[in-house]
Amino acid sequence: MSATTFPLRAEWAKFTTLRSLWTTPLLAVALSAGITAVVQFSYGKTDTSLTEDPMEGVFYGLNFGQVAVVCLGILLVGQEYASGTLATSLAAVPDRVRFFRGKLLLGAGLGLAVGVLSVAGQLAATEASVGLDLSAPGTARALAAGMLYHPLLLVLCLSLTTVLRNQTAALGLLSPMVFLGTTALSAIPGVRDVAQFLPDRAGLYAMRLHDAPDVHYGHTTGLLLAAAWTALAVAAGLRTLRRRDA
Amino acid sequence: MIEIRDLTKAYGERRVVDGLTFRVAAGRVTGFLGPNGAGKSTTLRMALGLDRPTSGTALVDGLPYARLTEPLRRVGALLDAQAVHGGRTAAGHLSWIAASHRLPARRVDEVLALVGLSDAAGRRIRTFSLGMRQRLGIAAALLGDPAALLLDEPVNGLDAEGIRWIRTLLRRLADEGRAVLVSSHLMAEMARTADHLVVIGRGRLLADTSTADFLAENGRRRVRVRAVDPAGLAALLAEAHPEAVPLGDGAWDVPDADPGELGALAASRRVVLIELSVTHDSLEEAFMRMTADAVEYRAVTA
Repeated sequence: MSATTFPLRAEWAKFTTLRSLWTTPLLAVALSAGITAVVQFSYGKTDTSLTEDPMEGVFYGLNFGQVAVVCLGILLVGQEYASGTLATSLAAVPDRVRFFRGKLLLGAGLGLAVGVLSVAGQLAATEASVGLDLSAPGTARALAAGMLYHPLLLVLCLSLTTVLRNQTAALGLLSPMVFLGTTALSAIPGVRDVAQFLPDRAGLYAMRLHDAPDVHYGHTTGLLLAAAWTALAVAAGLRTLRRRDA
Repeated sequence: MIEIRDLTKAYGERRVVDGLTFRVAAGRVTGFLGPNGAGKSTTLRMALGLDRPTSGTALVDGLPYARLTEPLRRVGALLDAQAVHGGRTAAGHLSWIAASHRLPARRVDEVLALVGLSDAAGRRIRTFSLGMRQRLGIAAALLGDPAALLLDEPVNGLDAEGIRWIRTLLRRLADEGRAVLVSSHLMAEMARTADHLVVIGRGRLLADTSTADFLAENGRRRVRVRAVDPAGLAALLAEAHPEAVPLGDGAWDVPDADPGELGALAASRRVVLIELSVTHDSLEEAFMRMTADAVEYRAVTA
């Protein structure tokens, strides 16, 4: 075992030395908090789609901020394939389990930081504009789900990029899937029954306060569903990394 | 020391590396030669654990690369100088590699100074020339002060000054007791730099020999001879050296001849020579002769 290499340190150093990497989580927080603030201050008190389920208003910005989270997950692995630094990375940390663990730890850590900060920002913007009853049933759960959704989504994208071994392919597959595909699929009545089990649909449902009649699972189960997808992707990523030539 | 034992890499039916065995000993520069597509890079990638061998092993100090505890202290490698992220600075690129082994930050400055890139430390790599990228790649290979170095075509893209610099550097690294393997497709360059040569073609070992022996065997001796009476010389050569080739100006090229014997023979026949000189085949020719059957891609002469 190559126990004396420091994969997480290497990953952190890679992250901090590349501007396109370290600006992305900042962008995610700024987009989520900023857009929620703009929307809540402008329409928070008038638009019924925002007041019906208060979390709809709180997490309005998240729909945009998650674009940056997906990009970060793809970039953390994809830029190594795109630039060819993967060979150097694996020469430095040849144990691929340890290497991938370093990527996952950094991805999960960054995701959680983005989650906490962007939920805090969206919450603050909501409190300052329309106000929010924090004691209402389900609110704590919805906010926690909002925070956890970020690391799950980020690690999912990071792992799928490892499976695809190609940054462009990952961007091409994941961005439309998360931002167009599943939303569009959910609009088709027959397909909706299936599409609601996709990771982003399930994760976003966990952030809602009220039950939706046509969703076949509960809010907490939604978060677990998203976690299961992520776990599956991690396993697939590790399998690819261990089996394929770098 | 690096030991390649019966190493084979096959993609389907195609064997890119085919039963290769050789060792890279400490204290000398080993030139790893072969035409493009001979399997040099694939061999190096297997030695670094990046590609999995179909069969055989590549060992570093008796262990597969993946099982080394601090790999960068054992082996420093430069595979592809272009495989860097252009958005990082030179120092940034080296700092993440250093972080993987907790090497001190001053080590980054040291290797940058060693390769002459101190002034460019804060510049983004995308502004670097190929020559500067080669230097950066060598700096990265030297970060862990490794006992062995594997450099894939490090001379590519370097100017004359750069080539002289790397020649001196490789010499010094070997003199410090390190095992140095340098791949190249340039025979002449390797003959000047390497102590030992490993030549491969189509993934197979063609030669594993000291540079001196290689030169003695393959730098074939030829004698150039010219006489006052061309007809007399022609008659003499037709008899004694039928393989001799006329060069046009009355001179003849006699392969594998001994100049002393040829001179004595001419004297005994009263053929007056006005020129008798020894030349050696260029190494490039020797290399091409050796790898002639093993060249993968060749232009067809119509």
